[in-house]
Amino acid sequence: MKIKDGFILSEVAGQTVVVAVGKMAKQFNGCIKLNPSSALLWKTLQKGATEEQLVETFMNEYDVQLEQAKEDVKEFVTNLEKAGFLE
Amino acid sequence: MPRYKIADVVFDAQFIYGYTERLCQKYLYQGDEAPRLLISATLDDIKAEKEKAPEYPDNYLESLAVFRKLCAYILDNADGLIFHSSAIMVDGKAYLFTAPSGTGKSTHARLWRELLGDRAVMVNDDKPIVRFVDGKFYVYGTPWNGKHGLDTNCRAEIKAVCKISQAKENSIRKATAGEMVFTVLNQTVRPENQSSMENLLGLIDKLLGSVDTYVLGCNVSKEAAELSYTTMSGERL
Repeated sequence: MKIKDGFILSEVAGQTVVVAVGKMAKQFNGCIKLNPSSALLWKTLQKGATEEQLVETFMNEYDVQLEQAKEDVKEFVTNLEKAGFLE
Repeated sequence: MPRYKIADVVFDAQFIYGYTERLCQKYLYQGDEAPRLLISATLDDIKAEKEKAPEYPDNYLESLAVFRKLCAYILDNADGLIFHSSAIMVDGKAYLFTAPSGTGKSTHARLWRELLGDRAVMVNDDKPIVRFVDGKFYVYGTPWNGKHGLDTNCRAEIKAVCKISQAKENSIRKATAGEMVFTVLNQTVRPENQSSMENLLGLIDKLLGSVDTYVLGCNVSKEAAELSYTTMSGERL
């Protein structure tokens, strides 16, 4: 799975924010603030990744147990799916 | 064809309706600077505005379309953004009050005028333009000045940006740059194309790193204005 085109992730005043451009801006005109771990998952998903790959990326960067990592990734992906940001 | 200078950008304009021409009258320009662009709103532009705000008449929507084009040009070519706020200048320095419509930015700016008299000049009560020029951020008056028609054709260096909310008791504190990001993003016009959006995000990043930022909870009273003015200006009354 992959995050749809049309999002910009950027560092603004020390915050990682995501906004939409182009066609996506018509669908989503809000903005999202990401904490460092969600920013890592977001960036990985922009290139495309499976849930297993996300868990692996997450665990390489953060000191978490497998079960916790799986749970966090699942929650993140579910939220993106609900928002319609994934393809 | 009339020529204008708004936010230090000289441009020619062609209007369909007299409304926009009257609105911009104060910004007519007769100096020697060459115009940087020609702005005109087409019927399609007006139609596009109508889709966003069907309740308004076409002549007003034309003025919005013109403003949108001017701001798009300024964002891409002159390091500037529209910042929905009430901008007031005191002793040459500008203070911007920002909040969702109906919160009381204009009211708070009025309290400052009542407190400070002639020392306080309204730069713009609704849609000023903020530009980064030679390493500093300035706010500029524009004709799009809100329901009280308050604006001055001038610019002032920005000292502080203040986010307002209604409260029973008055209180003010410094904001972190981070908590202001959404505020600014929600009180500006966001471009749809990627490179303009990147310009905008870069400008906001610089703005929040350059000016003081505050969060004010306030009621409608002289004390509210005294608190915000003395805190943000560092001056005594």
